[in-house]
Amino acid sequence: MFLKNTYNEFIKIAAKPRSYISIAAITVLVGIILFAMKIDGPAYISFITASFEQTLNFEGNIMNGNLMAFIILQMLIVQIPLLVALVTGDLISGEAAMGTIRMLLTKPISRTKILLSKYAAGLIYTFFILLWMGFLAVIVGRWLFGDGDLMVLNSDGLVIIQANDIAWRFLGGFMTAFLALATVATLSIMLSCFSDNSIGPIVSTMSVIILFTIIGTLDVPVFDNIRPYLFTTHMAAWRSFFDNPLPIQAIKESVVILFAHIGIFLSISIYHFNKKDILS
Amino acid sequence: MEESIISISHLAKNYGSFQAVRDVNITVNKGDVYGILGPNGAGKSTTIRCMLSLINASSGSIRLFGHDIKTHRKEALSKIGCIVEKPDFYKYLSAESNLAIFGRIAGADVSKKNLHKMLSFVGLQGREKDKVSGFSHGMKQRLGIAQTLLHNPDLIILDEPTTGLDPQGIIDIRNLILDLKNEFHKTVVLSSHILSEIELIANRMVIINKGISVVEGRVNELLQQEELIVAMEVSDAEKSLQLLVNYPAVQKIDQFNISITIDKNEIPNCIDSLSKGGILVYNVSSKRKLEDYFLKLTNA
Repeated sequence: MFLKNTYNEFIKIAAKPRSYISIAAITVLVGIILFAMKIDGPAYISFITASFEQTLNFEGNIMNGNLMAFIILQMLIVQIPLLVALVTGDLISGEAAMGTIRMLLTKPISRTKILLSKYAAGLIYTFFILLWMGFLAVIVGRWLFGDGDLMVLNSDGLVIIQANDIAWRFLGGFMTAFLALATVATLSIMLSCFSDNSIGPIVSTMSVIILFTIIGTLDVPVFDNIRPYLFTTHMAAWRSFFDNPLPIQAIKESVVILFAHIGIFLSISIYHFNKKDILS
Repeated sequence: MEESIISISHLAKNYGSFQAVRDVNITVNKGDVYGILGPNGAGKSTTIRCMLSLINASSGSIRLFGHDIKTHRKEALSKIGCIVEKPDFYKYLSAESNLAIFGRIAGADVSKKNLHKMLSFVGLQGREKDKVSGFSHGMKQRLGIAQTLLHNPDLIILDEPTTGLDPQGIIDIRNLILDLKNEFHKTVVLSSHILSEIELIANRMVIINKGISVVEGRVNELLQQEELIVAMEVSDAEKSLQLLVNYPAVQKIDQFNISITIDKNEIPNCIDSLSKGGILVYNVSSKRKLEDYFLKLTNA
């Protein structure tokens, strides 16, 4: 029954026009970035590398597909949560707003299974969004700009990763990014359980992300103790896969924190959804 | 002995200090077309929602097919098809896809053949591929009934099934409900705030008012056994009261009108008594006490 309902949920997501907004938005954004880089890429790269040109001599194709993919990921990973919440925030509250939740919850399937199948469909959708972005960034990026060593500028300085050492890093990075987006999806589904309209959970999800991000970036001692436990602090953990040496402990911590948030959000969702009176 | 399918006793539902349902007792037997009658806000929909576990009852017990709805929800719901309040569907999907979605989780056969058969039964043949967004309320109601039948349930629950329909739509739905009983031998529970509606379809009924089940029983018995309230337009109301002194519950309404609560068979004798006393009777109209009672409730 769980699989049948997950299939149902995926049909619903696939049939909703709003589900394609994310795909269209990502396609347009990546297209714009790739186009801009194709036209003005060298100027952009020289701006980044300007401070190193006194001490380092760059050879080969710096502006390659790997760098494009990294830039795209860095730029878009901030916007993707909104696109994910647009669909996942609507999964429960959208049914309440349409009135179909009455039909759904009078069928011989437990509320927990209904929620979990919606959650599973939401995660599949999130994965697909990320996969599409990955395809555009890595595959199309490499096709347009070719392969080469990846040059990453981080807080510790410049990191050069050899071309043959990049694939697994992208894979790890995407998996961690998926975990971060899954946390956002779980948060929006949880908020969706508390609402009877579609907009509320989407706006609330973004508000929580913005609030936590501000708390996370404010360099005020009072937030020092909570900052490491905010899921937003770990949403950029994917970037750690492009550090040398690999900060395994930091990645592990991020994964644990994100999983903990997913567990908490999902538990609250299941508890509330099972207790909820359907009045819509 | 009749087999009880629904047994609700002392059901109550509170929202904070507001008591939506205070004390509802219902027994529905197999094969019944059972009417839940009550004015708007009486607690009919809340009772149905509690019955289907859409909302949690504050107290009381609900047993469907012998199963407690709180502990054996899945078993109970597997034998029920229902429309609560109004039939809402995924507007961006076709009639066929909507049926498939609800049928799949109800464990129904969702083959195209079966879906088309159901749509044909409710008169929606040829509209299978049409999106529900283009359906009228009556068509949605029909689609809702098709949805309730997909998994071949023993019990169909319809909450105000004719609300918002045009006269022809009301007749169509009424006939569909009667088909469910006569052809498919289903037990049907329907709620309404219109007594004549229940009278035409149901064989048993309950009246709910202010969250309390006031009266329950067979529709024909409730309606026939009740005394009539007879209104008479006479030449002299005062003198009529004197002539009808042996009848209890005679009331003067005004100078030319009286009302009297009597059995139907007594009406000719009553008129005869008035005629012999020289009173002219210009008009006699009657209404059942239950109807009057219900009208009082609804007017309240």
